[in-house]
Amino acid sequence: MRLALPLSVILLFAVAVSPAFGDHKPLTKTIYQTNSLYQFIMVDEDQVARQRYVLVNTKKDRPQGGILIDDPDKLIFEYTRMAFTSLAFLDREPDEVLFVGLGAGVMPRYFNRYYPDAIVDSVEIDPEMFEVAKKYFYFVEKPNMKVHLLDGRMYIKRTAKKYDMIFLDAYRGEHIPFHLTTVEFLRELKKKLKAGGVVVSNVLSKSNNKYFWAMVKTYQEEFESLYLFKGEEAGNFIFVATVNKFPLQKSAMLYRAGEIQSDKGMDIDLKQSPWDYEDMGFTWDSKILTDDFAPVNLYKEMEIGK
Amino acid sequence: MILVIVFLCGAMVMSFEILGSRVLAPNFGNSIFVWGSLISVFLAGLSAGYFWGGKIADIHPSTNKLALIIFVPAMLFITFPLYSTGISDWVFMQDMGIRMSPLVASLFLFFIPSVFLGAVSPYTAKLMISSLHTSGATIGTLYALSTLGSIVGTLLTSFYLISVAGVKTLIMAEGVLMIVIAIPLLFMKWDHPAGDTVPVETETIP
Repeated sequence: MRLALPLSVILLFAVAVSPAFGDHKPLTKTIYQTNSLYQFIMVDEDQVARQRYVLVNTKKDRPQGGILIDDPDKLIFEYTRMAFTSLAFLDREPDEVLFVGLGAGVMPRYFNRYYPDAIVDSVEIDPEMFEVAKKYFYFVEKPNMKVHLLDGRMYIKRTAKKYDMIFLDAYRGEHIPFHLTTVEFLRELKKKLKAGGVVVSNVLSKSNNKYFWAMVKTYQEEFESLYLFKGEEAGNFIFVATVNKFPLQKSAMLYRAGEIQSDKGMDIDLKQSPWDYEDMGFTWDSKILTDDFAPVNLYKEMEIGK
Repeated sequence: MILVIVFLCGAMVMSFEILGSRVLAPNFGNSIFVWGSLISVFLAGLSAGYFWGGKIADIHPSTNKLALIIFVPAMLFITFPLYSTGISDWVFMQDMGIRMSPLVASLFLFFIPSVFLGAVSPYTAKLMISSLHTSGATIGTLYALSTLGSIVGTLLTSFYLISVAGVKTLIMAEGVLMIVIAIPLLFMKWDHPAGDTVPVETETIP
């Protein structure tokens, strides 16, 4: 009897561990892991592809950001490249931009590289994520590149600043923060845009986001124009929302994207990224997400239930 | 009937707490401080409610009074949309920092209802206890039902109800439900099994 408890513990341990060994790809190794206030953060390295990622909570989920170990300035994720095509929607050079959701900090760092004089603010809720960005992803704070550690909506509500562009990269992983999807939030966001400003949002694709059309409709409710870029690789969408009533033609947009790219000497192709460019000028039959009703966290269960 | 009430009040507390996180998010975000504030305010309310509920249960307990105890949070739930945004916006304007703001807002919005919902448990215990010989089993049953209710309230709200209706509609509906279950208490002729003056059974006092 005295052996029963330790034995069962050993047995349980064996059962718990064995499938983990089976699934584990030997060429990926975890170089850092920590439990933050919000999530379990892992930094993984793929020795074959020579990439380093940051993952939260589960290995099965999409990485929250990553770099090439030998060329950390490259944008390896498609959606990050697509997001920068939005530069073509601003009729000037951006002076002040905001990133909501720092992740590995790859996008603010990339932006700073080509617009070294612009002010780049980032908001990140998780202090550990900021530490990881600095330690493993070459993120450095500078006088014009600062990180604010608080909830994205809090920052937007409190800040006295206005921005040319606001990049929302907070709808990631298992959990979509509902209060960053609602029409009230978008209204607050719009108030922090300079004239002609642009909001750029990374949104999970239709296939694993039951509230995709509701999100489209909500953006359309608040912004005069909405453009969707669909990715080829992960299937993420980039929403580009502007306050401009007159839709930007695809050819004009691509021409301007080409100009910016050659002007700045960017290493990504801004004209190639929008694999699918849709001008969403029409309304969809879906509910608008509000602070009162926004069940976006339930998208996983909903998907199974369908 | 009283068992159903204990179960439902347990469910209401936790459902309100889950919905409370969504009430706070627009002004105070979804940070760890919001959850910390919310949970501690609910627990503080329950703790105060257990204490106070136990005290008043010793003074001529009746099902009528139990109904009144339930009517208070019910009315606060039904009128919630009238004051929640105002209070939440006012606290936001005071700008007491990322920790104090959600704590103060939670106190204003959630403390009083949880005191009254907490008082239900000791009050019903008093009503149900018929003898000191079985009081342990009675209290144990009530604890179990109340906590089971809380589990159901938590799961049902977070897994399902949130996608059915708006947060404010749900809170109002829960208020109406509490009124509905409390009304029969007013017409109940409850004979307190042990009477108002419970004889001291010396054998149980160690």
